Amino acid sequence: MRLNLDRRHFLGLAGATASAAALAACSGPSTSGGGQATTEAADIDFSGVKPAAKIDFWSSHPGQSQDVEKSLIDKFHAQNPDIKVNLVTAGANYEEIAQKFQTAQAAKSGLPGVVVLSDVWWFRYYINGSIIPVDSLTKQLDMKMDDFQQSLIDDYKYGNKHWALPYGRSTPLFYYNKDHFAAAGLPDRAPKTWDEFGEWAPKLKASSGAQYAYIYPALAGYAGWTLQNNLWGWGGGWSKDFDITCDSAESVAALQWAQDSIYKNGWAGVSSKEAADDFSAGLTSSTISSTGSLLGVLKSAKFNVGVGFLPGGPKAQTNVCPTGGAGLGIPSGITKEEQLAAGTFLKFITQPESTAEFSAATGYMPTRKSADMKAVLAKTPQIQTAMDQLAVTKVQDNARVFLPGADQEMAKSAAKILTQQADVKSTLTDLKTTLQGVYERDVKPKLKA
Amino acid sequence: MTRQLAPRPSARPIRPAGRAAKVAHRRWTARTRRDFFVFLAMALPNLVLIAVFTYRPLFSNMYYSTLDWTLGSPTATVVGVNNYIIFFGSNDAPKVLGTTAIFTVVTVGGSMVLGLLIALAMNAKVRGTTFARSAVFAPYVLSGVGVGLVWLFIFDPGYGVLAWLLRGIGQQSPQWINDPQLSLVMVIIVYVWKNLGYCAVVYLAGLQSLPQDIMEAASLDGANGFRRFFSVSLPLLSPTTFFLLITTMLSSLQAFDLIRIMTPLGTGTSTLIYEAYLQAFGAYNRAGYSAAISVVLFAILLVITVLQLRFVERKVHYS
Repeated sequence: MRLNLDRRHFLGLAGATASAAALAACSGPSTSGGGQATTEAADIDFSGVKPAAKIDFWSSHPGQSQDVEKSLIDKFHAQNPDIKVNLVTAGANYEEIAQKFQTAQAAKSGLPGVVVLSDVWWFRYYINGSIIPVDSLTKQLDMKMDDFQQSLIDDYKYGNKHWALPYGRSTPLFYYNKDHFAAAGLPDRAPKTWDEFGEWAPKLKASSGAQYAYIYPALAGYAGWTLQNNLWGWGGGWSKDFDITCDSAESVAALQWAQDSIYKNGWAGVSSKEAADDFSAGLTSSTISSTGSLLGVLKSAKFNVGVGFLPGGPKAQTNVCPTGGAGLGIPSGITKEEQLAAGTFLKFITQPESTAEFSAATGYMPTRKSADMKAVLAKTPQIQTAMDQLAVTKVQDNARVFLPGADQEMAKSAAKILTQQADVKSTLTDLKTTLQGVYERDVKPKLKA
Repeated sequence: MTRQLAPRPSARPIRPAGRAAKVAHRRWTARTRRDFFVFLAMALPNLVLIAVFTYRPLFSNMYYSTLDWTLGSPTATVVGVNNYIIFFGSNDAPKVLGTTAIFTVVTVGGSMVLGLLIALAMNAKVRGTTFARSAVFAPYVLSGVGVGLVWLFIFDPGYGVLAWLLRGIGQQSPQWINDPQLSLVMVIIVYVWKNLGYCAVVYLAGLQSLPQDIMEAASLDGANGFRRFFSVSLPLLSPTTFFLLITTMLSSLQAFDLIRIMTPLGTGTSTLIYEAYLQAFGAYNRAGYSAAISVVLFAILLVITVLQLRFVERKVHYS
């Protein structure tokens, strides 16, 4: 056989080989089953299934909880010597852990047994069919579902099934510097309304020496979550169900008031990184931050810290606080044995004793009604405020938690309004257009199916 | 004086006719075959690696750009060029392309101009140039993540060094991190600071290899320093400038680490590559759309490189 291959021919052959390899590699997702993967997951039957010997637990350690997570895992191992749980730091925040989880989904390998999922991520996992409903597991493992705080467990309910269990759950809290308040002759409490705080703020700024009377939480750090309070107080919101209402007169008035507090009245600022740190450092007399920041603030602040409910607005004085934080889910792409082991671990880590221990270490709220919080409250009485506020919380607007990327779009709009003094009405109108586009394109077709 | 050149041997051997030619060709083929297998043994592993890790993702990405695919979802819909239509028809395209253009032009221009000025200063025969060279080059080899974190502290409007200095003269710090326009300025400043050392060192090497006889001739002809620089040094540095133009432009168009660390939401700083990241992994999970943006970036890089090689290189003096 005559072999007549010069360099040119060889490179051609190599190129063809490369192209063939490339084309062969074009596996990716299946394109035969339509454009969505929402699963009407049937209850999984775990009868006769033996739990796997080892699972990974992917966590971002919310509220600097790595140590308490290790401690809880050690206790789990003592009770369940046949199941080894390996704690994996899968990200520094909810977004990073979501990135890793979705990449593992795309790669179809390396999935954990249990994953931390935040309020804005679990629904996307549900739509993609990435997580299983936990109902059949909780039933088989005899978990007391009615002992969970109702508003916290209901956050993960969709299609009459629960897609996660509450874990590091938080609400925003109003933090104030008691010393500054006393120096300004103000009562030792959080303001009942933002209008009341508007009257207090000039006095605070004049007497405290702090740069701001109030600092808005960092826009990159879930602005859509904390500004929910302002919007509800003024009778507005990001949406009603999936009807986007962020440009309503009430919503515009709420964010106009926020913009005025910075530019017109000059007593407020916007945190660049972490409002709780700014508050602890004495940069501001007050702020709003997660309950998960409570212990950190108490530890680092060199002044008396007060906490209170979130202020109301002209239209609503109560039920103006959103729930938030993270839950725990179980991936669909692992074996039944691993899912059962994950369920066993979920049962342990969400039981009353565990949630009390987690709460004591982080400041997150206990997720069980029967959690014994006496010792925790004796040590950190401020947690009681967060627990009391739970009774007047509301589930966040759909636009923030169910629309992919909505939180980022809200933060961008907030940046324009609060740092560039952009026109509030037109900015929120643009936001509405963007959010409606996301809903129409990324959510509505998948919900219908 | 003219010189008679010897006839150049032909690049291809002239094949003898008839049977002798067949024998010669067979001998040549046998040798070539041996050489070919040696070549194959040497080159094939690399070619396979390139095929698997460069061309495979490239072609996969082009394929994904034709899908409506949510990252993490096991299924997707083929939508043809719809992702491209959506991108170019949306408000994203002018914003992202504009940000990319501003970032690239300013960082490439800034790094090269400042790098050249620093190289000129370091080229002077004064004491301490070795230390200066190391100091200027050091940021280039530092981790972008570390650099980004340190500069975030410097720019922090609450308790950053810059805010402290501004307060000293009675001024409030601008909102470097929250204000979308200022955040782009902030990232550009840090990017130029980090990369100008590379340009400075490459320019310095170019300056030190300039032929001294030409410089001396220009001096003897009465050209002052300014004239010598613009009429002699700068044209002679054109290969260096051309090299830097290509490498820094490719690097700027693919800048990621500083943007990711300093402005995670990409507010005001979303260049093409960062937008592609945000769309797939940030929060939107639109893997197909993200792939389309990556293909647009690939096309832009390809066009720029071809244009540079075709038109800019013509103005380069290699000797």
